[in-house]
Amino acid sequence: MTMAVQEPGGGGVQRGSASDLAEVVGTILDKGVVIDAHVSVGIVGIKLLTIDARIVVASVDTYLRFAEATNRLTLDGSQAGRGLPEVVQGPKGNLLDKAGDALGELVGGGRDDNDRERAPRRQRREDR
Amino acid sequence: MSVDTREAGPDTNGFFIYGLVPADVEPTGDARGVGDPAAPVSVVVHGDVAALVSDVPLDRPLGRPDDLRAYQTLLDGVTLAAPVLPVRFGTVARDEEAVTDLLADRHDDYRRALDRLEGVAQYVVRLRYVERAVLSEVLAGNAEAADLRDRLQGQPAEALRDVRIRLGEVINAEVEARRAADTEQLLAELSPVAVTAGTRPPTSEFDAAHLVFLVETERRAEFEDGVERIAAEQEQRATVRLIGPQAPYDFVDRLLDRG
Repeated sequence: MTMAVQEPGGGGVQRGSASDLAEVVGTILDKGVVIDAHVSVGIVGIKLLTIDARIVVASVDTYLRFAEATNRLTLDGSQAGRGLPEVVQGPKGNLLDKAGDALGELVGGGRDDNDRERAPRRQRREDR
Repeated sequence: MSVDTREAGPDTNGFFIYGLVPADVEPTGDARGVGDPAAPVSVVVHGDVAALVSDVPLDRPLGRPDDLRAYQTLLDGVTLAAPVLPVRFGTVARDEEAVTDLLADRHDDYRRALDRLEGVAQYVVRLRYVERAVLSEVLAGNAEAADLRDRLQGQPAEALRDVRIRLGEVINAEVEARRAADTEQLLAELSPVAVTAGTRPPTSEFDAAHLVFLVETERRAEFEDGVERIAAEQEQRATVRLIGPQAPYDFVDRLLDRG
């Protein structure tokens, strides 16, 4: 997990990290070629630990969080911009990040960056 | 993977399929996939297309954080050198014959999709509003929101729940309208330097836009310059995150359209 805490109005582009689990889950979940049913006899069912990380954006909870943030904005200017309690702009802020945490807890995995060491290098044969 | 393993225990191991590539692509010896220890990656070739696979035990669940990362790391790494069509995470074939069968089943569709992916990669662009900036913007432009906010001044946190909900509802609608407008504008600004574009659902209430693009290798610098320009324009208002180049996860369905 290497995403820096966002400074409001900091400007510039933040480059994503391949090891950010929340980004990984958001990127690969429910994507990719699905093998057609009629050739799937050779496709083996295997238990997946992944969880559904989608969120419902508009709900009463959402409204209350917006209201709270607005109230805080008014009451104390110095507090403003620090982020909603559950939607802070930080490493463990958004709900996808939480899903990533839950996933990590579920399977006892860490947020280490060891996979970078295994980044593949590929070459194409020239005899095409 | 070895044939010996399968013969020794036909029900204990399978082929995890990462993605489809042109038949002339082969993994380097150090390419690793899912599993612990991470399994070496090899290819199963049929005609002009091939599947990137590795041996996995069938009696252990998949989906550890390291498995997810390994899957994406492998596919993104391939993208830098060759076209790749990601196969949905968790697709496991019983044996090599099953892999060949699925390649044969849509061979021409896969080859056509891979042809279209030659020299392109995916980028994700996500803008997130600076909370204070967008809320101030809403309050300045929406009389009802400002009025509701005033009514809540000095009230305890649990009081006037209906007013709070209404305030949140108004703000939510305003943020959603801004998200729609900003998404449109960004698509218009960046699409000219991309092959194609798409949107993703927001991952946060403060997302301003969540976009995906297929970009030609030759135009990457131009595309990234465009994102930098947007970040400069949005300074104080939204933060900009750029992820990629990566495998074309979001475009697989469109690439495989037979139309």
